[in-house]
Amino acid sequence: MPRGSSWPVRLALAALLVLPAPAARAAPPPALVAAAGALADALGPPQEGRRALLLAVESRAPPLAATLETALDAALSSRGYSVTPHRGAGDAEGSARAAGQDWLLRVRAGLVPGRREVALVGELIPAWASFFLQRHPDARAVPPRVVQARAPADPETLLLAREGRAGAPFASVRTLARLPGRVLALAVGEAGEPGRPVLVAATQASVTVLSPAGERIAARDFPAGALTPVRDPAATLAVGDFGGGRIAVSRAGAARAEVLALRGERLELAGALDAAPLCAGEAGRLFGAFVPGSGVLADVLAPFADPGAVPRSGRTLYGVQAAPRAGPIAFAALGTDLRLELLGRDLRPAAPGRASLATGSGFALADLDGDGTAEVVASSPDPSALERVRVLAPLAEAPLLLESAPIAGAILAGAGGDLTGDGVDDAVLAAVSTGPSGEAVTDLLLVTADPRELP
Amino acid sequence: MRAALAALVLVVPALPAAGVRPAPCGTLRIGLPAAPAALPAGTAERPVDLLVERATSAPLLEVDAAGRLLPGVLAEVPLPEADGRAFRLRLRPGLRSAAGRSLGAADVAAHLTSLLRARPAPHAWVALPVLGAEAVLDGRAPVLAGVQVLSAYELLVTLAFPLPSFPWLLATTPAALPEAGAFVAAARRSAADPLLLVANDHHHAGRPFAREIELHAVDPRAAARLLERGGLDLVLRPEGLGGRAGPPFPPLTATVAVVNGARLGPGAGPVRIALRAIDRGELARRFVRGPAVAWPALVPPAALPPGSAAAPPPEEGGGPAPARVTVLADATAPDQRALAERLQVKLFDAGVRAAVDLADGARLRARLDAGDYDVALVPVPIASPQPALAAAQIAFVARGPAAARRVLEVLGGALPAESTPGAAERLARELDLVPLVASGVRASLGPRLQGLTPGADGSVELGGLWLLGGGAP
Repeated sequence: MPRGSSWPVRLALAALLVLPAPAARAAPPPALVAAAGALADALGPPQEGRRALLLAVESRAPPLAATLETALDAALSSRGYSVTPHRGAGDAEGSARAAGQDWLLRVRAGLVPGRREVALVGELIPAWASFFLQRHPDARAVPPRVVQARAPADPETLLLAREGRAGAPFASVRTLARLPGRVLALAVGEAGEPGRPVLVAATQASVTVLSPAGERIAARDFPAGALTPVRDPAATLAVGDFGGGRIAVSRAGAARAEVLALRGERLELAGALDAAPLCAGEAGRLFGAFVPGSGVLADVLAPFADPGAVPRSGRTLYGVQAAPRAGPIAFAALGTDLRLELLGRDLRPAAPGRASLATGSGFALADLDGDGTAEVVASSPDPSALERVRVLAPLAEAPLLLESAPIAGAILAGAGGDLTGDGVDDAVLAAVSTGPSGEAVTDLLLVTADPRELP
Repeated sequence: MRAALAALVLVVPALPAAGVRPAPCGTLRIGLPAAPAALPAGTAERPVDLLVERATSAPLLEVDAAGRLLPGVLAEVPLPEADGRAFRLRLRPGLRSAAGRSLGAADVAAHLTSLLRARPAPHAWVALPVLGAEAVLDGRAPVLAGVQVLSAYELLVTLAFPLPSFPWLLATTPAALPEAGAFVAAARRSAADPLLLVANDHHHAGRPFAREIELHAVDPRAAARLLERGGLDLVLRPEGLGGRAGPPFPPLTATVAVVNGARLGPGAGPVRIALRAIDRGELARRFVRGPAVAWPALVPPAALPPGSAAAPPPEEGGGPAPARVTVLADATAPDQRALAERLQVKLFDAGVRAAVDLADGARLRARLDAGDYDVALVPVPIASPQPALAAAQIAFVARGPAAARRVLEVLGGALPAESTPGAAERLARELDLVPLVASGVRASLGPRLQGLTPGADGSVELGGLWLLGGGAP
């Protein structure tokens, strides 16, 4: 204490020592803490003094579930609940009743497909025995409630969600269906009833619509003739809004593209287009054109079916793909120089081209992990190598997320879309090989990170 | 049914390796052991010239790597009618020449006739089974009596004798329809220039992937250097020259010794015995560059049952050895000098003094026709792996049309496969021919070349070649 200082000064100095230092700037709370707090707020304080709560958290990523359980425990405790985490895989509601808990809070957590958000959905289930329902011991004393919350997912949360399946591969690859002939193009989308995605495959001879399980729904043969011969048959295919129908297909050498409508188990011709439908996704449709007399495309990426659209360059393309859900990467164009361009919604480059993103001519864009950025599901760019499916994270330092065992055949086409129904994109690739009689056959390979598909 | 299956296969183009589809590219550069020439259709004899003919004409039928016939200019593989004496050929509609002229059945008929009327006519054997072929060959008739044009796209071919394997003749390069190939040969500005093949946009299978192909004559050292530096994308030579090894080619250039029994008289016996006793395996291993196999019978070794070539029947008879014989050989064909000199040694070991006489291809042909030789070594680029046709081609080149017809009649009929080796051996003795070896080429590929798939007949479809990474089309 300085000598001679007055008591008010002493008091001020003492106050400085006692009061905490002001925070420089409050950092946003971790995503899981924010989401847990939001869910606790939605739940509200304990009613009628019933504070004992059994907490059961489920997620397809166990590390995410464990960390979320801690955050929820803290958030609920601060709001007056006495929280007991549920352990074991048994009947949580039965456990809550047996343990004399007042409530069971069952929370399911995951990433919102295509969005960088973590979502929580909770069920608040009463677990006490009702005096008035003694003859029905399993009956709930009061109606249960559903509460939900979401928060922007920070990188740490994405990490927990992505690396959740310890020891499991990033995705699995399995054969979905086998089609006769050489599949030239694939597309996934809602071609008929809204909310029911289908898989569409085009060969030189026909278009086939398959269910997500690979069962044939409808097919239509192309009319014979009227096709300028090309040495390497090729086609483009898209599912989207094309006027009279939602399936648009163009074959190399054909004068015009066809628009098809799926009506029940019939595939009907609904119109024609003056440009090749390249792809369709949440960011829109793209149209282009085959180089005359060839199976490759001119470098045309037009938002409308404009036969006079000017090529961006003299390059030729193997194909163009759209991400089912538009994130930073909405489209990808693969040149015959094997350079893959990643494009945003505005068709401007979304990421620099890198050799590590090389792919063969069959590829797809699909946000397999639901982190909001589409992965490139690629084939082998080296014709002398064995064919393999590779999943590449285009914006990551080390893009390779998965490399499959060797695949029989050559992957020539691909498409992205949710086929397993888990709300997260999957990819389908067409691997063409030679059948026992020398004829071409195509195996459709499902690439998915759906945990139900993991071996 | 068979035709339908074949048509189904045709619409399935060769599958690309891994996941990379073919792409158009600019200029491909191919190195060859000799300078090729674009000759009138049906007159090419050297393998390099046949490569050009295959590129500039469209085969009526194709042969895939597995040895199956596939439609080509013809829309389907024809089936035998009238016990194998007639075939109805249906062309695919819309055929056009590189210049845009419509092509049809009349052009096929004219080409078959031209194979017999050309002078020289090295591939007259292809049309020889057709009724009236000998009259055209002798100049007694202007057209083939056995070819009837039924419509713009259909013709009926009647044969002089049953030949169920006639469709295989239609798959040979000499039978291919001129001016309809994947490429057109451009005029050379000077003899030193490579032969330039320019893509035919009207080709029935679609525009070739390469816009142009340059065919260069290169020696082994230059070929290896150019391949390494990217100056060549493909080299087809007997030697392997580095780069990536391409798929194997069937060794189908046969070398046959022809004994002139009429000139040697009784002395021909010891000569035949000495020639037939030669270790053909040793010849193939030590005296032929590149891939080579012993060719012990008149038919390709692949047509022989395993082990059947090991022990040819012993030579019977034999008179006094001639004082001296001359071994006539082609100075322009690869390995012929080395083989002739080996024969010289072997004949000496058998008590026959021999001299080697080298002549260029045309002079050798003239001397063969005139009977001006004792023993001649004749290289024959086999156009078809089908046993009867391969034997007929050898017989035609060595002994003329009558011998070829005789071979076709014997081997081309309904002969059981197990009887083929014995029949071929008898024919070889009857025609005084001693098959020796067959050689082939190796493919050395540059880093970007794709699409090389040799047919079972050794043919290369240049229109299917492309460069990985594409390039300006």
